[in-house]
Amino acid sequence: MARVILEAESLYKSFSEPVLLDISLYLEEGEVIGIVGPNGCGKTTLLRILAGLEKPDSGKVARRGRVGMVFQEDRLLPWKTLWENIALGLKYHGIRGQDLTSKLKEYASKVGLEEEDLFLHPRKASGGTRRKAALARALVLEPDILLLDEPFTGLDVNARASLRAAMRQIWNSSNLSTVIVSHQLEELLPLADRVYVLTPKPARIAEEIDMRGMNLEARLERVKEALLRMLTPQPPSESEGNGNSREEGKTK
Amino acid sequence: MSSTAHDGRTGVMSYTFKLGRVMVALFILAIWISASASGMLPGPVEVITYVMSMDPKEVCPQVLRTLYNSVTGFSLSFLISMVLGLLSHKYSFVRGFSEALSEIFNSTSALVWSLVLVATLGVLSPLPPILVVAAVTLPHVLTATISALSSADPSLLEAVRSIGGKPSDEFFEVVLPSSVPLLASASRVGLGTALRISVVAEAFGSSGGVGYMIIRSYNLADASGVLAWSTILVLLVLGLDQLILKPMERRARRWLE
Repeated sequence: MARVILEAESLYKSFSEPVLLDISLYLEEGEVIGIVGPNGCGKTTLLRILAGLEKPDSGKVARRGRVGMVFQEDRLLPWKTLWENIALGLKYHGIRGQDLTSKLKEYASKVGLEEEDLFLHPRKASGGTRRKAALARALVLEPDILLLDEPFTGLDVNARASLRAAMRQIWNSSNLSTVIVSHQLEELLPLADRVYVLTPKPARIAEEIDMRGMNLEARLERVKEALLRMLTPQPPSESEGNGNSREEGKTK
Repeated sequence: MSSTAHDGRTGVMSYTFKLGRVMVALFILAIWISASASGMLPGPVEVITYVMSMDPKEVCPQVLRTLYNSVTGFSLSFLISMVLGLLSHKYSFVRGFSEALSEIFNSTSALVWSLVLVATLGVLSPLPPILVVAAVTLPHVLTATISALSSADPSLLEAVRSIGGKPSDEFFEVVLPSSVPLLASASRVGLGTALRISVVAEAFGSSGGVGYMIIRSYNLADASGVLAWSTILVLLVLGLDQLILKPMERRARRWLE
């Protein structure tokens, strides 16, 4: 069994009202997990807690490796070129000169960025190119865990396909463990090994589904079924709110 | 509204705007002419003739001296603001200190600074005009720097943090660049203020500069000389503002677009 590289245990978080209730999940080395749920249910908050950008009110997160985060918005510095944006993290880690150039070129090519695009300012680049640059900025630091928040939002069909292909290539050539939060099931499900389905706010884990061995159609049907079930009122069961440990609630 | 109608309206607005500016110049000229008609002041023609008769070898060093005092004083206040801004970003104590310093300096008149510094450093010291300019412009630049700190996009700060940036990286990579438009506006106001303030300080304790020449002409009861040097100062401030500072501010505003 693969090593667990990221583990969240009984996470609770509230702002003015409860957002997350008793969330537990895990990510194994080299695995890709998806987090889906209705809009505004707290997916991004959960991802920010996993990244260490937000503290939970209670519960804990164990990270056994370096974390890279790609935000929902590109968050590229508008006064810097894409090259300079990607290079920032390397400079902060003391990498400069030829090492920086070769590493930057390597990851730019991995995410599918054209060399001439690297010298554009973000406002001059397309949405897909900006998203790839944001991905390259996180990947160039060679994280063990990659957290992606709605990576496909705002992209057209071609850009989404190109980004998905770039991600596949990265996973094929590395042992990167990834958590993807997305509401675009058609984009997320072909990539995910497992999916956690969240309830509407306050979010709990309604279901954990192992996708391995399923074709895309079966995956879509299975997750849509889970999402539909949440919208239909159910009588409370004994396992409700607690079906998110490594063994309980797992369905195939 | 069609684009032609819109363009036409914009053209009319631009024309009336320019007309308003010309009217101000004519209004000032009219007051000057009426004041000179009653014998209170030398007239515009007399003053222009006086300016034309001045030796450029006499005018240029005085203008350059005033420019030097203004730019050096302003640069000093800019530098202090940047250092305090950087430290404020990291330590809330420095932020409180900077805000209080700014409030105190803002409440102190240029006249008080001039008298205190001339009394402390002596009439012949070249420092009082520079330090007065620094003291008077500091609150403008410091306040702009502190406002810029709080207006920096928190999501970009978080992005820099997420890739290993330290607070100083956040300052230099996000806070400072995003504050460029605000700092450019503050610099425009600050440098204009610096020029006007430096002549006050030069009038009190200096051996050169436009301010010194104005007070010297006044002491010699040379009213045409006072107005000639004052006209030179106004042209200097306007020229600097229109030819350098305003285009610089416009360019800085486009920085973030």
